[in-house]
Amino acid sequence: MIPEIGHILLIITFVSSFIQSIFWIITLGSRNTVNLIILQKFAVTNFILISSSFSILLYSFIISDFSLLIVTNNSHSLKPLIYKISGLWGNHEGSLMLWTLILTFFTYLISRNKSQISFKLLSSILGVQTIILFSFLAFILFTSNPFERLETPPIDGKGLNPLLQDPGLAFHPPILYLGYVGLSVSFSFAVAALITGEINQIWARQIRPWITIAWSALTLGIALGSWWAYYELGWGGWWFWDPVENASFMPWLIATALLHSVRLLETRLILVSWTVLLAILGFSFSLLGTFIVRSGLLTSVHAFATDPSRGIFILIILTIATGVPLILYAIRSSDLYTEKKIEFSVFSKETALLINNLFLSTATLTILIGTLYPLFLDAFNGEKISIGPAYYNATFAPIMAPVILIMAIAPFLNWGTKINNNFSKKILFIIFITVLGALVLSMIKGATLFSIVCGSLSIWLFSGVLINFISQTKLNNLKKGEFRSWLNQLINNNLGMHIAHLGVAVFLAGITGEQFFKTEINGRKNIGDIIKIGDRFLKFDDIKFESGPNYKSEMAIFTLSKNNNLIDTLKPEKRFYPVQQTQTTEAAILSEFFGDTYLVLGDGNKEIGWSVRLYYNPLVSWIWGGACLMALGGIISIFRNRKTKPNIIIRNTI
Amino acid sequence: MKPKYRRLVIITLIIIILGIATQLILMALKDNIIYFYSPNDLKLKYGETKNIKNKIRIGGLVLEDSVIIENNKTTFIITDRSHQIKVYFDGSLPDLFREGQGIIAEGTFIKNNLIASQVLAKHDENYMPPEVAEALKKNGVWQGDIKQ
Repeated sequence: MIPEIGHILLIITFVSSFIQSIFWIITLGSRNTVNLIILQKFAVTNFILISSSFSILLYSFIISDFSLLIVTNNSHSLKPLIYKISGLWGNHEGSLMLWTLILTFFTYLISRNKSQISFKLLSSILGVQTIILFSFLAFILFTSNPFERLETPPIDGKGLNPLLQDPGLAFHPPILYLGYVGLSVSFSFAVAALITGEINQIWARQIRPWITIAWSALTLGIALGSWWAYYELGWGGWWFWDPVENASFMPWLIATALLHSVRLLETRLILVSWTVLLAILGFSFSLLGTFIVRSGLLTSVHAFATDPSRGIFILIILTIATGVPLILYAIRSSDLYTEKKIEFSVFSKETALLINNLFLSTATLTILIGTLYPLFLDAFNGEKISIGPAYYNATFAPIMAPVILIMAIAPFLNWGTKINNNFSKKILFIIFITVLGALVLSMIKGATLFSIVCGSLSIWLFSGVLINFISQTKLNNLKKGEFRSWLNQLINNNLGMHIAHLGVAVFLAGITGEQFFKTEINGRKNIGDIIKIGDRFLKFDDIKFESGPNYKSEMAIFTLSKNNNLIDTLKPEKRFYPVQQTQTTEAAILSEFFGDTYLVLGDGNKEIGWSVRLYYNPLVSWIWGGACLMALGGIISIFRNRKTKPNIIIRNTI
Repeated sequence: MKPKYRRLVIITLIIIILGIATQLILMALKDNIIYFYSPNDLKLKYGETKNIKNKIRIGGLVLEDSVIIENNKTTFIITDRSHQIKVYFDGSLPDLFREGQGIIAEGTFIKNNLIASQVLAKHDENYMPPEVAEALKKNGVWQGDIKQ
């Protein structure tokens, strides 16, 4: 009975979101503010209805109600509670429920907006959000109903795929979805701006936190996924340029471009229609990503069982959600504003941000082509191909290198025509440090040209961010007083941006270490054997057979030591899950500041020994550390006080 | 920069960057495409050729009782139930690598064997790579749609 209530709640929301959309379209021209209040009430109701429905589904997972198809397929009574819960979004139907839950939550948050944003704009934003909700509910109800019942419930579930019984699954999809849905908000802002013709600095100021939230969530979500793929074997390592990975990376690149172009719009009121276009495309790319993942059209390491009919449904949503706004854009964008005739020099923030946007969108294009080209070729002459890392190394990397070069300099350039007095002094300092760093790098054993270039870019950015932070925040000028006001001063002096850029430098350092300096040792070892890694010794101590909650394990015990001092114990495992008849290999990873020791246990027995594979990945954790810094920088910048900025308000209401 | 020149400079810049990007993409597409074959397709396309210069991917089922693992080096046979190809692989096998499982191996084709640099299986035990499914259908050994 309870699941039926959840289903009915979904149907009610579906029908009412349809009525709400119609209501919004009818009242579009109206000047009555009551309409906005009604739309705001709708947003609250939708959120309550969807969260109730979601809770019911969650409850069915927690109590293991095997009369539901989705629970039977993805859960098992013996599973730990956290994986019973994450089982909900580990599959297609449940992940869509999570999607709509976040969507209604964000819509509710926008509806509470009490600032200067005009009621016409706000009602249109809510209206567009409702239409998105309606399309996704239609998708759920017609192709992927999570509340589908089984006529004869089995005694126990099939269990979640053991590979997915991992903290990675518990956090990676929800955070990524926050990002995707966050981009739907900036999409709605853009479409609403096109409909109402209202776009100005207030619009930019309101949309920016949403882009930042979406961007930070995407950063964190992608980093988590990458970390998961790194410690899970056979998924191609931390980044594989797999279509599913690209599907999340393209919206991230667009969001990054958008984050920078909206800054230009906010302070200088230029790039208006370009920003609107990016906001539309950001969401289109999120939908394209969902389409790629769910349609099964492209071969991916991360592919799950897919269903083509669902793919077609998403394709329809994608076409409408991109097509209609783009038509609207073609008609309306030239009416949006009268471009301000501002002057700026070649060495100005404006130029730097323009170049940033140009390169980021070109980089997105190269990934888009690499991702979709196999599809076109297949449709064209039936040839099956795949495009791997080599393509992206040859296209994406050279296009991004200039972005890094400019990223170090851009923050200390001025707006407009005034050239920073200390400009050349700072540049010389950065060049000096970079040359010094490159020399050090070239002395490392095994250094190649590419490793030196990649490492130098990281050092270039490091020194750029450092000198920037010091000169911009003028630490000794900060009023020492209360911690809070001191922190606020820092935040208003672009602390978030500095941290995010520092994150990119850390990330690049991680890539340099992982890509160019990793070592691998492998062979057959028996108990008592010792492997030498640099100045450390890894000793094979023992092998144990143990039972976990729903698996049996074969675990090797290795001790890592230096100068007879124990550093850590590594326990690589092989697990056997009887319910699914599946074996998984759990690598043992000792993650340290300067590198990871990554140990994998293979087949073997006491007579012949076990095959062992050992990797040392220098600086690899900096990859995710850098991504976390980027996300942190984003979150900090949300708290920035927006009133301290130059205020040139130009309103263009049609 | 004066506003009247700005547009000109920006447009020139866009054209230059897009031009370079296109050049890079075309070059990369020429050299870095990896073709996918089933053992049967490979036979049809290359006949009795012993070596293939570029990297390729071969997809099919892991033949039962063909897997030999020694010193972390794996040898196995990929089959589409019509032709077979022997694969040598020195690396970590994915967890879902099993006999009878649909997999994809990527590597260079030397002397009628595939020296694989990567062996890919999927996250989901019921999942069959679409290319493998299609290749099997073509050879009439498809077992029907696998339940999800």
